[in-house]
Amino acid sequence: MTWATPMLAALVGAIAIPSLVILYFLKLRRVPREVSSTLLWKKAIQDLQANAPFQRLRRNLLLFLQLIILGLILLALAQPRSTASASAGRKLVLLIDRSASMRAVDGDGAGDRTRLEVAKERAIGLVEGLASPSLFEESERADEAMVIAFDRSAEIVSQFTSDKQTLINAINGIVQTDGPSSIEEAYRLAQSQRPNRVFIDTGPSGEGTDPVEIEGIKGGDAYFFHLFSDGRISDLDVVRADSQEQAGDAPSFEYHAIGSAGSVNVGLTALRAERDYEDPRKLSVFVGVQSTDLNPRSIDAELLVGGAVVSVRAVKLEGAKVNSQTGEREASTGGVVFELVEPNGVVVGVRLTTGFGEGGPSGGGLDVLSTDNRGTLIVPPAKQASVALVTTGSLFLREALRGLSISDLLVITPSEYEQMREDGETSAIDLFVFDSVLPEAGEGGVVFDPGRYLVVGDVYTGPGGVVDKGEGPGTQIINWRRTHPLLRDLTLDAVVIGKSRTIEIPDGSELVSLAETTEGPAIVEMSTGDVRAVMVGFDPKFSNWPFDVSFVVFLASAVDYLGTQVGTEVDVNARQLSPGYVLADRVPTDAGNIRVTLPDGSLSSEIVAAPDGRIVYGPIRETGMYRVQWTGSAGASDVEDDGRIVRFYAANLLDSAESDAGTLTQVDLSNRVVSASNQGEIKRLKEWWVWLLIAALGVMMIEWWIYNRKVYL
Amino acid sequence: MLRSENPTRPATIDELLSSELIGKISHLDVSSRKIFAGKLKGERRSKKRGESVEFADHRPYATGDDLRHIDWNIYARLDRFFMKLFMEEEDLSLHIVIDASASSDCGEPNKFYYMQQVAMALGYIGLLNLNRVAVTAVGMRDELVIAGGEQSIAGNIRDLRGRRRTHDLARFLCSITPEGGTDFGQACKRIAMTRRGKGVMIVLSDFFMKEGYETGLRLLVGRGYDVFAIQVLSPQEVEPDIAGDLQLRDVEDGDMAEVTISAPLLKKYKENLSAYCQGLRDFCARREITGLTIQSDTPIDTLLVDYLRKRGLLR
Repeated sequence: MTWATPMLAALVGAIAIPSLVILYFLKLRRVPREVSSTLLWKKAIQDLQANAPFQRLRRNLLLFLQLIILGLILLALAQPRSTASASAGRKLVLLIDRSASMRAVDGDGAGDRTRLEVAKERAIGLVEGLASPSLFEESERADEAMVIAFDRSAEIVSQFTSDKQTLINAINGIVQTDGPSSIEEAYRLAQSQRPNRVFIDTGPSGEGTDPVEIEGIKGGDAYFFHLFSDGRISDLDVVRADSQEQAGDAPSFEYHAIGSAGSVNVGLTALRAERDYEDPRKLSVFVGVQSTDLNPRSIDAELLVGGAVVSVRAVKLEGAKVNSQTGEREASTGGVVFELVEPNGVVVGVRLTTGFGEGGPSGGGLDVLSTDNRGTLIVPPAKQASVALVTTGSLFLREALRGLSISDLLVITPSEYEQMREDGETSAIDLFVFDSVLPEAGEGGVVFDPGRYLVVGDVYTGPGGVVDKGEGPGTQIINWRRTHPLLRDLTLDAVVIGKSRTIEIPDGSELVSLAETTEGPAIVEMSTGDVRAVMVGFDPKFSNWPFDVSFVVFLASAVDYLGTQVGTEVDVNARQLSPGYVLADRVPTDAGNIRVTLPDGSLSSEIVAAPDGRIVYGPIRETGMYRVQWTGSAGASDVEDDGRIVRFYAANLLDSAESDAGTLTQVDLSNRVVSASNQGEIKRLKEWWVWLLIAALGVMMIEWWIYNRKVYL
Repeated sequence: MLRSENPTRPATIDELLSSELIGKISHLDVSSRKIFAGKLKGERRSKKRGESVEFADHRPYATGDDLRHIDWNIYARLDRFFMKLFMEEEDLSLHIVIDASASSDCGEPNKFYYMQQVAMALGYIGLLNLNRVAVTAVGMRDELVIAGGEQSIAGNIRDLRGRRRTHDLARFLCSITPEGGTDFGQACKRIAMTRRGKGVMIVLSDFFMKEGYETGLRLLVGRGYDVFAIQVLSPQEVEPDIAGDLQLRDVEDGDMAEVTISAPLLKKYKENLSAYCQGLRDFCARREITGLTIQSDTPIDTLLVDYLRKRGLLR
């Protein structure tokens, strides 16, 4: 309970209360009259008194009641407010978590409402409790609040305002998403509203120098952050609460824990499909499951192909462990692999069912989050990479590539390649292998069209390329990136180069050297947007590499690695999206009227593709199936439906942090640990003066009634 | 009800008894429901056999009887003595008690003046009809104690008889001034003890006695008087005309009552007044006292000719 104007009330009280009491000390001046007998008068008075209750109190009752009235009015004048923690005029930032875990239904106390709904309610409670401008002192400022909703990205849903209705509308307008939680962007958004703190170094002479602003240290009014979340935020350590000096007495960062710390959840954390390298028709679906239940659980995982259940496997999960040091639960994990033969492109779904105990999948507190019980994968048809070898006639490369399991190997001359390029047929080929040649520079100096390239025996020296310093002496490969997928499985120790090429990578270039000789980079990877090229600087003809087993392995890895987009394994997961991230892909350049169908069936507005066919949509908010559809030519894995080309994408949560549904009771900021405040109700800032005045009015009516009764005394 | 500021103090008989009133009441006589024995022969028939001219009975002579009453005609005829018995005619004792306390000196018209007038008129009627008339003024008079008299009796005049005593009566009534309190019980006890014979007693008072009127009236009626209690109230006592926050002071004992006049209070006062008067009348009715409440603005002749005749005091 705080008082807005206590001094005013004290002053008025100091004058009014003694005045009232003094008035009572004054005796009523009665006119004396002599009468024949007071007998009947006394009797009449006694009769009336006999009817009046509380006769002893009567004399002072009116004074007592008047003191109460005066007291109530004085209290109202002091403008009491309950639970105002600081003076008004605060700036509050309401950070409301809308990530996937806020979709959890904890049950206890909250009914069937999700955590986000509870968070909204509590945030509205906080907003309603904000200090309004004081009646009597115009200088008193109202509290202002800003509302930011965040998942992985953040959005200011309401700028600073003291209009409570605007804030409440903004809070009510927050939409649940399935994205992961990241507070960084939200925090930066809020902090960007504040001016940097300015330091003036007065120096020993006492003369001020130019003010210096220091990035990251904010000045201006203190911000009071209110985080409405379940605490499952990975990057809370970017948040730096304001110091006590700036914030005053009130906590500058309050964490309103939403949900129950004991909530347990079982969810999918990994979902992957792979086609067998030897027999692409064989499809393996890997399912990762985690449980935060302390008891062992047995979950049934269903595999759905095209919407129908084709296989059910039981997943046994041990009970979650409690870390003895931190006291936090560490989820137990388990997995299952489905294998099936499916040469065609399919939509594979995985669903966790049964084994949730009594109460069904989302009841009984055994599984508070239902979003992570489903997953979808888009599996394109079994298809091997098509490779085109552009050569003037090299034996080694052609024979080596032929030995690989490549569905379609095309051997063409450079002029034939230029012809294909002119005809726009290059997009049908997954990987171009250039043997000691390079494509000709096309329009605007573009050498590489979007695509994947392996260049052997030559290097690209154009913009963003390497610096070619001509032939170098014989050398050996001394170092290579053993972790790179291309070089992971092989050893290049035995490779002796007879005629090397001395190349340099310019400063600031994005080129990555994968293997080094004594003379410099030997294998360079160029990855610029939609062009990925691996360039082997020396000509294998002038080395012993073609005779080494590592040459074939390198080529096979290159086909695998560079063929990612449309290849065998990697491509299965390329159409996987995560909520909170954007959908980015390429469509044929002639695609028009591009739209995205959302999981709920609604259609997005038209997306304009970049000249090279790139599209970006998002960030994606919900899990489920997304369909990008357009008119025009179709890509390799696209489906035609009713005159429009459709490409499927699946968005799955697959986030172990979000699936760990237990609410944290404290959050670790960069400079302090904040415990959850007000686990129950949020105390509201309430103005009491109206009620005090109403009470005073009520007492006054009682007093008036008694006064009128007193006439009967 | 308020003390009269300039009360009428009669000085002569004319102020007490107008000639006009005399004309109206001359034909009246005092009567009593009871027949009393008087001391002197009067105009009243007594239940005793006596010496009037009216024959009543005969009885045999007994030794010692007055020889003058022997019926000689019977003796001549029967040769035996028979006494002639005549109806005895006795005079009537009329005793008027007047309340001379300060409370009587209130109201407009003044209650005491009114009582004086009533007492004068009744006394005049009594004297005119050869009744024995006595007047006692009741009221505390401290100076009388010093003089060795009775404290509760303010004044006394007795054994007036005959028309020529009218002026004595008037002089006595004019000499009384109403002041001080009353001790009605004590006064009545005194009256009852000193009173010889029986007769009609008229008590004129407002009967506003804090100690109560019951004891006094009981003593009076116990001695066999035919008591008339006439309660005189001023119109202001019946319909109070006061208002505001007042400090009421009792003129007799100085008792204070702080009142704020309001409709409920006035209503209650009137209820109490009528209950008080009714209580007085009920008390009187139970003890064969004739009770009567009269306002001091009632004309004297109306009281005498109308009310008292109806109640049998006068005829």
